[in-house]
Order: sequence, then C-alpha cells, then structure tokens
Amino acid sequence: MIELRDIHKRFNAGTMHEVYALRDVRLEIRDGEFVTVIGTNGSGKSTLLNILAGTILPDSGTIRIDGRDVTGKRDFERARFISRVFQNPFMGTAPDMTIAENLLLAHLRGQRHYPRIGLNAKRREFFKSRVAELEMQLEDRLDTVIGTLSGGQRQAVSLLMAVIRQPEVLLLDEHTAALDPKSAAQVTRLTKTFIERGKLTTFMVTHSMQQALELGNRTIMMHQGRIIDDISEREKGRLTVDDLLDKFSELRKAEKLTGEMIEHLRREYL
Amino acid sequence: MELWIGAINLGFVYAFMTLGVFITFRIHNFPDITVDGSFVTGAAVTAVLVVGGVDPVAAMALSFLAGACAGAVTAFIHTRFDVNGLLAGILVMTGLYSVNLHIMGKSNIPLLNEPGITAFLRATNPGIPYELLFCLVFAFVILALWAAVSLFFRTDFGIAMRATGNNAAMAGASGVNVNRVKTAGIALANGFVGLSGSLVAQYQGFADIGMGTGTIVFGLAAVIIGESVIRTASFYGRVLGVILGSIVFRLMVALALDVGLNPIDLKLITAVFVLAILIAPKLFPGGKAGAASGGRRKVPARKKAAVFAALAAVAVLLAAGYRYFHAGGPSPGREPRIGVVQLSDHGLLNITRDSFVEEMRALGYENGRNAVIELGNANGDMVTVNSILDRYLRDAADVILTISTGCTQAAVSRIKDRPVVFATVANPFIIGAGRTETDHLPNVTGVYGPAPTEQLVEIVTSILPGRIRVGCIWDPSQQNAVFNVERLKEVLRLNGNVAFAGTTVSGSSEVYQAAVSLAAKGIDAFVLTTDNIVFSAFESVVKAASAKKIPIFISDVERLGDGALAACGFDYRQSGVQAAHLVDRVLKGENPAAIPFERYSKVTVGVNPGVAAMLGISIPPEILARANAVAADGGGNGRPKRLALFLFSDNHLLKIVADGVMDELKKSGTLRKHNVSVDLKNAQNDYGTARAIVQDMVRKRYDFIVTASSLALQATAGGNSTIPHIFGAVTDPYRMGVAKTPGDHLPNITGVATVQPVASTVEAMRTLFPRAKRIGIVWNPAEVNSEVCTGKAREAARRYGFTLLEKTVGSTSEVKDALSALLNEDIDLFFTSGDSTVILALPYIAEVLKEHRIPYFTNDPTDVDRGAFFSIGADYYEVGVETARMAERVIAGEKPAGIPIRDYVPEKIGINEELAKRYGVTFPGELVKRAGIVRR
Repeated sequence: MIELRDIHKRFNAGTMHEVYALRDVRLEIRDGEFVTVIGTNGSGKSTLLNILAGTILPDSGTIRIDGRDVTGKRDFERARFISRVFQNPFMGTAPDMTIAENLLLAHLRGQRHYPRIGLNAKRREFFKSRVAELEMQLEDRLDTVIGTLSGGQRQAVSLLMAVIRQPEVLLLDEHTAALDPKSAAQVTRLTKTFIERGKLTTFMVTHSMQQALELGNRTIMMHQGRIIDDISEREKGRLTVDDLLDKFSELRKAEKLTGEMIEHLRREYL
Repeated sequence: MELWIGAINLGFVYAFMTLGVFITFRIHNFPDITVDGSFVTGAAVTAVLVVGGVDPVAAMALSFLAGACAGAVTAFIHTRFDVNGLLAGILVMTGLYSVNLHIMGKSNIPLLNEPGITAFLRATNPGIPYELLFCLVFAFVILALWAAVSLFFRTDFGIAMRATGNNAAMAGASGVNVNRVKTAGIALANGFVGLSGSLVAQYQGFADIGMGTGTIVFGLAAVIIGESVIRTASFYGRVLGVILGSIVFRLMVALALDVGLNPIDLKLITAVFVLAILIAPKLFPGGKAGAASGGRRKVPARKKAAVFAALAAVAVLLAAGYRYFHAGGPSPGREPRIGVVQLSDHGLLNITRDSFVEEMRALGYENGRNAVIELGNANGDMVTVNSILDRYLRDAADVILTISTGCTQAAVSRIKDRPVVFATVANPFIIGAGRTETDHLPNVTGVYGPAPTEQLVEIVTSILPGRIRVGCIWDPSQQNAVFNVERLKEVLRLNGNVAFAGTTVSGSSEVYQAAVSLAAKGIDAFVLTTDNIVFSAFESVVKAASAKKIPIFISDVERLGDGALAACGFDYRQSGVQAAHLVDRVLKGENPAAIPFERYSKVTVGVNPGVAAMLGISIPPEILARANAVAADGGGNGRPKRLALFLFSDNHLLKIVADGVMDELKKSGTLRKHNVSVDLKNAQNDYGTARAIVQDMVRKRYDFIVTASSLALQATAGGNSTIPHIFGAVTDPYRMGVAKTPGDHLPNITGVATVQPVASTVEAMRTLFPRAKRIGIVWNPAEVNSEVCTGKAREAARRYGFTLLEKTVGSTSEVKDALSALLNEDIDLFFTSGDSTVILALPYIAEVLKEHRIPYFTNDPTDVDRGAFFSIGADYYEVGVETARMAERVIAGEKPAGIPIRDYVPEKIGINEELAKRYGVTFPGELVKRAGIVRR
C-alpha cells in the first residue's frame, strides 16, 4: 500500500528557471496493483517516480509505504522495500563488475554489507537458475563483466536484479524505451512474468500508450504536475490508443484558453 | 645487484601507497591528492612514536589510522558538502603540511638507530646481505597484502565499494549508502598510504616533511604501469598489477639513475613517462582504447604490452644515449674512479667536499685528466643517497667517499666489496662502522671526531679562572646534541671547579626564553655544544647574554663573529684534507682494514676581541697564541666571508653585469685578500623564488650581497636590512624607495644607478640633424622605467629645441597604430628608450621608418644591427665592474651608509652607416671613433 499525500515539488525555486514539477499530487496504490503512468513531456511522471524512489525529496507532503512514513528517507534507505529499473540500460548495472557480482549486490539490497565472501557456491547456483529464466544464454557467463553485454541483455539483468529479492514496490522508469524493438518485447514479456509471479506492487512510467493499456490493471494520466485521469482496470478494457490520444488533444485545446489566461490574471491581480 | 634489489624493496614499501592510489583512482574514480600529505602523516606518526619509545608495530598501526583520518576528512568534505574531490584533496593536503609539522615538531626526524623494521631485520639477520633479507621478508608481506586486498574486494563490502565508484546510481538503488562507503574507501586508501609512509621512513632511516611531494604522481604512474603489465578484470590480477607496477616503476627510476641521469630531473622524467603511457593508446591506434565504456579491456593485451615494451625500450635507449654523450662514453679507462656522496648542501659538507677535491688535486688526482672524481649530492633525500651509491658501484668506483653520518650509514650497510672512506662524521661507532679505531669493518675507514669538548672547557677555565657555573641549552630530541652535552657534563665533572646548569628546548623559538632564564640564574658563562636547533637561534642567546654581560663559548667556529667570546671546534676543511690522504693510501693499494680511523687533527681555536672588549674580559696570552681564527670585527681575515651575487633572471644583460662584477672582483684580488667566496643566486625571473633566495641569504648570514637588476634590488631590500648590499644595473633606485638622494639612502644599501642616456641621445639628434623639429615616441605608461625615460626625453627635447610627440600603448600589438598616427603628424625622428613593450616591435618599426626615411634612435647599441639608426646605451659590463668596485670598498670595511649611490652611465654608441648613406647623413668622425658597434 502506497499513499502519497499533497506532494509538491519545485525545481530551481525562486529563480527564473523555476519548474513546478508536481502540484498537490495525491495517490493511493493498493498492494498488488500494477499502475502504468502516461503523460506528456514534463508532466511530472518521472519526478513522481523519483519521489517514490527517494532520489528526489518532495518540498511538502507525505509518502507512506505500508503505513511507514518514508518521506525524508533517501534512496538507499528505501532500497529495503523498493527496487527500480532505470530507463538507461547502463544505469542499472555496474559495468566493470561481473553479472554475479551485480546480482549479489541486488540480492543484498537493504541488507548490511559485511566484509565476508558472500558469493559462495550456493548463491552462484541460485543466481545461475535465476539468470536462466531470462533465456538469454547468460547462465554460463556469470563471471562476464556486464560492460560487454548488449543493451537488451543489460536491461534484462537489471530487471532480474530488481526482482531477485522480492520488493514491496517495483519502480519501472520507461525501462524499454531505449531498447530495440526485439529486446523491448523480450524485456516487456519478462516484466509481465516477474510481476505476475511475484504479485508485485508496481509503478511503471511509459511512453507507449499501447504498453500502458496492455500492461497493468490501472493507468493514470499526468499533465503539468497533476494527475488528471485515473483509469480503472474495467475502463481500460474498453479504451483504445486513439481514445487516449483524444483525451490528450482535448486537454491541449482547453489549455490554450485557460492556462495562459489564468497566468495572466494572476500576474495582473495578485 | 644491490641496485635492483634496492629498487624492488622500494617498490615493496611503496606498494602500499600505490594500492591506496589504486583504490581512490580506480575504485572511486578520482585521483586523491590527499596522499601527498597523508604519506608524510604516516611517516611523521611512526617517527614521533618510535622516537618516543612506542612499539614500532603499534606505531605503524597508528600511522595507518592517522592516514585514514586524513582520508576521511577529504571524503567528508567531498561527500557532505559536495566539494569537487580533487579540490577537497588539495585542501586537505595543504592543511596536512601544518599538521605534519606539528606532529613532528621539526622538519626532519632521523630514525637510523631507532627500533623498527630495519633494526628488527638487522637483529634477526642470519647472515645474508641486508637488502636481500629485506627483499625476502617483504616478498611474503606483499604476498599477504595481495591476497588480503584481493579478497577484500570480493567480499560483500568490497563489492559494494566497487559498485559505488562504478555506478553510484545503481549502488544507491541497491541500498548502498554511497557517501558512507566512499568515505570508508578513501579512508582505507589513505590508511594504506600512511602505512607506506611509515615503512618508507623506516626503510630510508628518517621522516621528512617534504617526503610526500609527488606521491600521487608516482602512485598513478605505478597504477597505470601495472595495468599495462597485467590486463585482466580479475581482482587478483588487478591488485597484483598494482603491486608489480610499483616495483616496475622503482626499477625504471633505478635504471634512469644507473645510466647517469641527474636525480633532480627524475620528477620531470616521471611526469613525461606517465604522460607517455597515458597517451600511448592514442598514438598507436592498434586497439579501440578509450572508445567506450569497457573499451579498456577490449584492447588486445599483447598489442598493449608491445606498445608498452617499445616505449620502455625507447626510454632506456634515450637514457643510455644521454649517458653516452654526457659522461664521455662508457669506457672508464683505468684511471682511478672516486665516487663522492654528500647528504645535502649544508655548509660543513660543502667545505669538506671542496677541500677534499682540492687536496686530491694537490696529491696528483685531477678530475678529468688522470682521475674520475664524481660528486653526488642527494639534496637531503636518503633514497637518492642509496641510488647514488648504487650508481658508483655500477660504475666500478675504486673508492667511495661519504660525507656526513647519514651517507656513511647508508654506505657501510650497503657496500661490502669496495673501500669506503668517510669524512665529517661525529661518531662512526654508533652507526656500525666499527667498534674501535682499529677494529672496524674491513672495507671502511675514515676521519671522524666529536666536538673537542676538553679543549673548549680548558679555554673556558683559563679565561674565567676560579669557581664558576656555566649554562648550556640543548634540544633533547636530537641524539647528537644529547651526546655532546653528556660529554660536556662528563668533562666538567672531572674538573671540580665548574658547575653545570642546563635547560632544554623543543624548538628554536624557545631558545631565547631558555637563555634568559639561565642568565637570570646568575651563570658565569654560556657553553654551547653543537646543536643545530640552538645554533639556528644563536642570536637570541647572544641577546640574552649581552643584556647580562655573560660571555658565550661555542664549539662552532663559524659562528664566532656573531657574538661569542671564544670558540673551539674542528676545521672541516681539515676533514676533507685528511680524507683525501686516506683515499690516496687506499688507491695506492693499502687495505682499508689496516688503516685505523683518524680523528680530525686540526682544532680551530677562535677568539673575538671585540666581544672581549665589550665584556671587559682580558683573554690570556696563551689562548691568544693558540687562536688561529679571530672574529672579523676584531680585524684580520680569519673567518672566510661569503658574498652572494644575486641576479633576477638569465637575461643576457644581467649576465654581462655579472661577468663584469666577477672579473673585477677576481682581478683586483679582493676575494683572495679578504678570504671571500662568491655564491651565484638566480631567481629565474620569478618573484617568489627571489623572495626565497633573499630569506635564504639572510638566514645563512651572508656577509655581502650584490644584486643586479631593479627587481633583485627590490626583493633584497624588502627582506634584508642588515647585510651590506650593493646594487647594480638599476635605472632608478630613488623611485624604489631605497634612497632619496645619492647621499641619503638606507644604511645597508648602496650601489650604482644606471639610467638610460636619454639626454645624450637627444643631444646627438641635434648634432646629427640640426634642422629636425619633431621627435616621435611611443611608450607604455604601465612601465615605470619607460615613464622615467619619457620624462627625461621631454626635458631634453625642450632643452635642444625639439617638439616631442607622444603616443601611448598598452601592448605590443598597438604599436603599429601608434606609429602610423605619428607618421601622419610629420615626425622627423623617432625614439624608443627603455620601453620593453615597444622594443619588442623594433624590427617592424625599423622597417616602416626606413621606408619613410625617418632615423630611428634607441638606447641599446646592439639595436643598430636590427635596423636602428643610432643608439647610445650603457655598457653593462662596465656597470658590473663599477658595482664590483663599490663592493670592494664595502668588503674592505667601509660602511655602505657612508658611500653615496653613484649615477654611472658608461656610454656605448652604436651607429648604422648603411642607413646614414641612405638618409644622406654623415656621422662626425669623432662619433664614429667612439662608436662601439658600427653597422656598414
């Protein structure tokens, strides 16, 4: 159960480059829910994901995960129950370390790192079986340095790292956007498998309307730092990509009238 | 063999440091400069603790901790406040300098006879050469280090640490507290560096405040070499590579020294070498190195190794070539070879060395003719001493002369198969050269002697008969000082009439207080035995003593003139002379084992009649009869005096001045007559260096300073107000604040002022061009000298009926426009005087003026060769001669305060006949006769 209350976030506050990234965001995600997030560029969806991850702290508002207030906790402190996959396949893995070492680090997520040899034969066996699930013939290359793998392979390993120790929340940040279509499909399939099998509470930001409708059981739309629509599973079944596009174009029309005028009035009269 | 084993050993002890650099540079991705400081911190902590009696193992552990603390501070600044890592490192390194000085309390702590690794290994040595034993023992230590560090980086914590450096975002997302792990890593790295500093201090036998300089570069060099030697992703391989890199690097340094490169070039060679390795992959496009992340490892290992080998080979060849051409080829012939090594540029050591070389010549060994006498100076670096010794061994030196205790200790422990003769050593027995004068190491002999305490006491008691009490000050942290004081106490005990009162100090700043308190206790005399710290503050003893009219007796004859009543010490010239005779005997085939150690045979007794008169003490005639040195202000020329000739830069004019000064001083015989030696100082055009030179001259109490150039005058006047100072090659001393008029100047400063002969030039213009009206001049108002000259030009122009048309510029590039503007105003003549900005454009100006048929006048006669028409300038050789003449008056005893500044312009004329023909002008015959430079 994730609860976001009255989240505000501004960047470069007080300067001419001020960006109001999130305005008064409220969101509740129930356990086991798989939420896909779509929105225009700069709508705040990535900021929202980073607020959940703890890499960005909100200006105001509270974040609770399973009843715990984690508002002020930083990323490594939340890592005990949150895991994430980055958009950039190079971000999720340490390139100069081997597959096994990367997996070990993921396996120790939220644990203390003692100076003892954690990469024992038993663990290696376990990692081998998990890597085999990726079906990328990586199971015999555990000691290969990650930097030599392709982007698709690295992203698949990143995904495995995110789920290797059951997280309470899984954050996916457009994690297939930077991949070629074949790899993207493969990683998407793996994502679905892992989430279904683990019944993971998932928050997935995506660019693809198609993906947003196909995956998950709830979709939220963001615009200008606000959640402007929340589509339930039932409703999702009826929607098409064109419907979603219509929603966005309606918004743009409305914006022309309101956005500018409101700003103007505010400047004139306040 | 020793050379290579020694290099490997250094590689071992530096391997800890290299690992530290590897951890910051490769694991945490930034080169942490803190290591330059934490290296010294480690050495300092061990040195202080070991001297203080702490167990060496505990001391090393604390060195590790101290280094780690330094690293933690850097990491804290870097992570907590987001300060750039390099900058944080620089800040901490800078601060550590002070911290390290505080830890040590002085700039250098000797560890030669302290417990520690060296002493332990010597004590347990089963009888193999020491270096070899060290090598074998450390091979195991390093093996353990390798296994431990490799394993560490495979542990959970090690993997987390690697991840933070490799991909901080991913590490954070995996629950690693990036900042904390980074701090731990940098602390660990600097802990290793501190431990390395501790080991190096023990290995080389001392800790020194300057030993850390360049550590980061050596570390990076070793890491990079290691990665070229072993290319693998495995951590066992990488750590092994780093250790090997440290060893290979030291071997290369040894090689460079072995082939005869100058030790002072080492750091430059290192920097070039590291650069070469860094850019090699780009110069030899064999692999796709550096193309993308992970690219480093895609380069075929063999290709990289080949490139590396080729580079190393080129380096060796270059070095070998250097040696071949600079050392006259590798064939030594069979003339005797003598290798001389001294620890530093200390006065006593220089005197010993010079008198040795001189006496050798008298004995018929002339360097370069029938003997090879190589002089090595380690510049205070013990590691370099070892390398110099190793080089002499390689070069098959027949005898090795070691000057100073430190060098001798290194030599006796290192050299077994070659005669070693030592000189200027207080006590050869405590460093293991022998047990008695006749029972000593078979290959070692030499000249030694503790200060002649008995004779000193004898002088004290004959000048001050009856029951007296004498006071002594010493620094107990110096072994040598304690040794001397103990001897003094012993001698006094035997003499029932003299009581002893003593005070110890822990630094030169405490000496004054100590002297005052002793004086207040009512002592009858100060008796000071050799102690560097006390003597560095000798003036404060004099101050305290003269307030109470207490005489001072010292063992350092060199300081007699500074206010002591009498001195009794060794003549270190004699040390060199005696050593030369020993070397001669060894070269003639005598076995050193059969030559007993010699004591200095000549004791110098000195008295200072001026001080005696002031204190109202009469010196007994038998002491006066024994005195072979009398302080300067009592007349006579006993003590050698020193003159510093200080140039600001290598500018050719200044060199001409220096030549003039030196020629005149030599020709007049002043140097010989007054026993003055000349040291040349050159600030290399750097004001900071100039200031350091001035401080050094004051600290070393030079007797006279001669400066050439305005900046040298300015720097010296700013830092010295006591030593007589004669300046030359200065345009305007009045503007620089050293004088108001020629007669009214600072009391210790006088000299020769040489202005540009502006008025004479303008006068010549009138003579040559009676009808000319307008003179053009371009000058830079930012130049003081130019402003003075232009002022004079205005005045002279008025006097000779010219109009001076001026244009000012701020840089050389503006000269062209200024000149065009003047040409528009119909100038008849053009003039440049003492302006460095404009003179740079001289060839251009000359060309333009030639086209417009306008004669060009300047104030440097050599300008006529570059297109000037007529020039009157100062003859700087004559300026040098005149400056030297004034210095001679001061050396002869005149006070500078009584010598007025002399305005002296020895005019030298340059004329350009070629242009004269073109302009249809004839130079008057008298002018041609006077001209020093004529261009036809």
